[in-house]
Amino acid sequence: MSRQPRASGHFRTGYAQDLKLVQTPRERWALVALLAVLAALPFLASAFLIDLANQVFLASIGALALMLLTGFAGQVSLGHAGLMAAGAFTVGILAKEIGAPFWITLPAAALVGSLLGLLFGLPSLRLRGLYLAVSTLALHFLVIYCGGEYEARRGYSTGIVIDPPSIGGHALTSGRAWYFVLGLAATGTLLLCVNLLRSGTGRAWAAIRANETVAEALGIEVAAHKLLAFVLSSLITAVTGALFAYYRGFVSVEAFSLFLSIQYVAMIIIGGMSSLLGALLGALFVTLFPYGIEALLGALPGAQRYAGLLFAVNYTAFGLVMILFLVLEPLGLVGIWRRIETYFVLWPFKYRPLAGRPR
Amino acid sequence: MSEALLKVEKLEVVYRRAITAVQGVSLVVPQGQIIGVLGTNGAGKTTLLRAISGFHGIDDARVSDGSISFKGMRIDNGEPHRIARAGIALVPEREKVFPNLTVAENLMVPAGPRANAAERRRWEAKVVEFFPKLGELRLRLAGLLSGGERQMLAIASALVCRPVLLLIDELSLGLSPVAVDDLMGRLIEIKRELGITVVLVEQSAAVALEIVDYAYVLENGRTVLDGDAARLKSHADIQEFYLGRTSGGTRRSYREVKQYRRSRRWYG
Amino acid sequence: MERPLQLAVNIAVLTAIYALIACGYVLIYRVSRVLNLAHGELMMLGAYLLLVTASQFGGHWAAAIAAALGLSGFVGVMVYLFLMRKMTGEMVLAAVLTTVALGILLRGATVLIWSAQQHYPAQRLNITNSAIALPGGARMSLCAALLVATMIFVYGSLFIFLRFGRWGVRMRAAGQKPLLAAQRGINLHIIYAMAWGLSTLIGAMAGMLIAMDQGLDQTMATIGLKAFPAALVGGLDSLLGALVGALIVAAAEVLLIHYVDPLLSEVVPFAVLIAVLVVWPWGLFGTREELDRV
Repeated sequence: MSRQPRASGHFRTGYAQDLKLVQTPRERWALVALLAVLAALPFLASAFLIDLANQVFLASIGALALMLLTGFAGQVSLGHAGLMAAGAFTVGILAKEIGAPFWITLPAAALVGSLLGLLFGLPSLRLRGLYLAVSTLALHFLVIYCGGEYEARRGYSTGIVIDPPSIGGHALTSGRAWYFVLGLAATGTLLLCVNLLRSGTGRAWAAIRANETVAEALGIEVAAHKLLAFVLSSLITAVTGALFAYYRGFVSVEAFSLFLSIQYVAMIIIGGMSSLLGALLGALFVTLFPYGIEALLGALPGAQRYAGLLFAVNYTAFGLVMILFLVLEPLGLVGIWRRIETYFVLWPFKYRPLAGRPR
Repeated sequence: MSEALLKVEKLEVVYRRAITAVQGVSLVVPQGQIIGVLGTNGAGKTTLLRAISGFHGIDDARVSDGSISFKGMRIDNGEPHRIARAGIALVPEREKVFPNLTVAENLMVPAGPRANAAERRRWEAKVVEFFPKLGELRLRLAGLLSGGERQMLAIASALVCRPVLLLIDELSLGLSPVAVDDLMGRLIEIKRELGITVVLVEQSAAVALEIVDYAYVLENGRTVLDGDAARLKSHADIQEFYLGRTSGGTRRSYREVKQYRRSRRWYG
Repeated sequence: MERPLQLAVNIAVLTAIYALIACGYVLIYRVSRVLNLAHGELMMLGAYLLLVTASQFGGHWAAAIAAALGLSGFVGVMVYLFLMRKMTGEMVLAAVLTTVALGILLRGATVLIWSAQQHYPAQRLNITNSAIALPGGARMSLCAALLVATMIFVYGSLFIFLRFGRWGVRMRAAGQKPLLAAQRGINLHIIYAMAWGLSTLIGAMAGMLIAMDQGLDQTMATIGLKAFPAALVGGLDSLLGALVGALIVAAAEVLLIHYVDPLLSEVVPFAVLIAVLVVWPWGLFGTREELDRV
């Protein structure tokens, strides 16, 4: 079901072969090379870069979850940060109140995420489009409020400090160790998403996204699939929040602002809607963006006076880049990537599809 | 009196870059006449009218070949509001009035050539004269009008734009025969008194052939036949396929039907 | 414990704030089906523009306010012509996200230009925001009273304009059936630009009055976001709904803050929204979206 154009000469002669994720020898070598590079990175890069990579992994998992919900199932959600906060706060509360270890808090976070997903998903059964987006926004604020209340009542006004997870006395503190943990988590999520989308559920979501009424008429249980999308997506997002809490060792309500929700939406827009690769590229771009801006400020002469207002520069630049992508390249980074890829694979032919996607 | 007001040459219209709804249609609309465009569902008649009046980007439709000239100027792929201001008004098949506005408000909306308030009021009054019933219904919501009343309102609001060319899509659809007769009478009156040229798209050939001066028959996006009303009314194929009359009450033989198909290919 | 009359006054003032902001959301949505989530930031920009004109026009507050209002309307029109017009062919979600991005851009830019500290436009204009004593022992500031007066004026004018004015009727028509409006000679770009200009202008009125009442900094944009549920509660394409929605949300907020918990301030509007949408998915007065042909 891969949509990549392949050079001619590669024929799939059986279903089993068609279903394989990696097919040609070239793809196999590319994958091996990629894994080798990723595995070697933590041993070659500085601690700062490893931290960046870890942030990218975390963002990827969240972005994949949002892509499943919005890009594939077609349900708009602006409450992503609220779900991450829920996961983080579950960890925080359980760790502080009953000293629970990570193998209790993580499943608990997943459970809380699922329940919230159910709650976030219920409006989608009655509401459409913009009204749905706003109701997810409303739930975001509710979750943040509850988190804020907890902090206020328990006196953690600056946030909750969390001990790192440990197995048999070895605490998970080194950036390198986290790199592999998070990398594995991200890869696992990616595989889960890929297979989910190839399954009947994925196809049902595609139908619902294209036209709900027709999907219902075809016998797809729209309500059940919508809720499933919300529950799965929220589960993964809450776990991301939990991992984030452990990674930073710290939970506070300020980290989960509306801007974070918008950043995740930006990830899937800038990356390219309805594409898992897009989620990854978007996560990479948006996570590295502030660092890029900071470096840029440092390099430009006379920009020093803005150094104190870094967050404002960030906002301005981020808004600008988002607008540029939305207006000029609605297919996102994936669109650019596919154009380059198609050019190289099909050269010297320039194939233009007769019935392209609607503009 | 017979300079061509509108000229369509070998028009090709494509939806979503994949579906060609009109393939090489040519027609000429002389000033002061009523021209009919006949054909069954899916023949491309509505697309033709929409191409003339402007697409507004719906369904990614565009004129991909050929030309449309109005008063000598090219108007294909133009913007609807500019074409309306240039003097072409369309009465669409479906979305023809503003349902949540009253009749009076519907008549306020159209924007014609620049005129001061007094002139505009005079023109509106003149238009309403053709449809006195609308005068009584001024405060009724357009969505609550009957089919015939709605069609009257649609034509009236198109006329408020002071068009030179009036395009009507499916005049008789959904209307009782009495209402249709009534409207046709008014249409002839309008043409005579206001000097407006009319292009009438109709599925019902019987209705159209009563009032048009000249007509084109479309099938699958191509013209298959054209001629003045008298000639078409007596044309054997038109009689069989569009008017339901067979010669002598017997079915035609396959060979004779093939003749129709051949003439189609000839024209297409 | 505040007296009930003071609470009523507070509700009236907050209603005026939310109503003025909400009608901006409704205007743009009704005419072009786009949700302008940058409305709060544009309103804030209007207030900052008042700072600029205040310096330009010395102590002449009338000139400064008029100039700032004119500039705000102009900004609204420009935003449509140079940004939103490019999004008219795309999905509505993309257009909404564009407004979100614009909002973020404005938040950053206002800090860069005017810094994050609080400003006091009233001081610059030599206006004293004196307290007005009302019967029953309640008090209201001058700017708050002006807010209520402005709301009445704006809503009255809008009702008359949309119902009886030729361009008002055209705006309603364009909102219902844009293609038909175009086929009747209406240039939709002009309609949309008018809606954006008017919406930003009215938002700026609210922003300036709030700034003169309470001071100005970036947190004002949050008020814009809180007014959004008011517009939705009433139904996004109904002006009357915006008014009623503003009243409901303001009443709930003032009462709950007073009797339950001050921290609820940000949550209440959205909680009210959820409660209303459960029963009326299109808001109280909103028109049900027509089902497209499948």
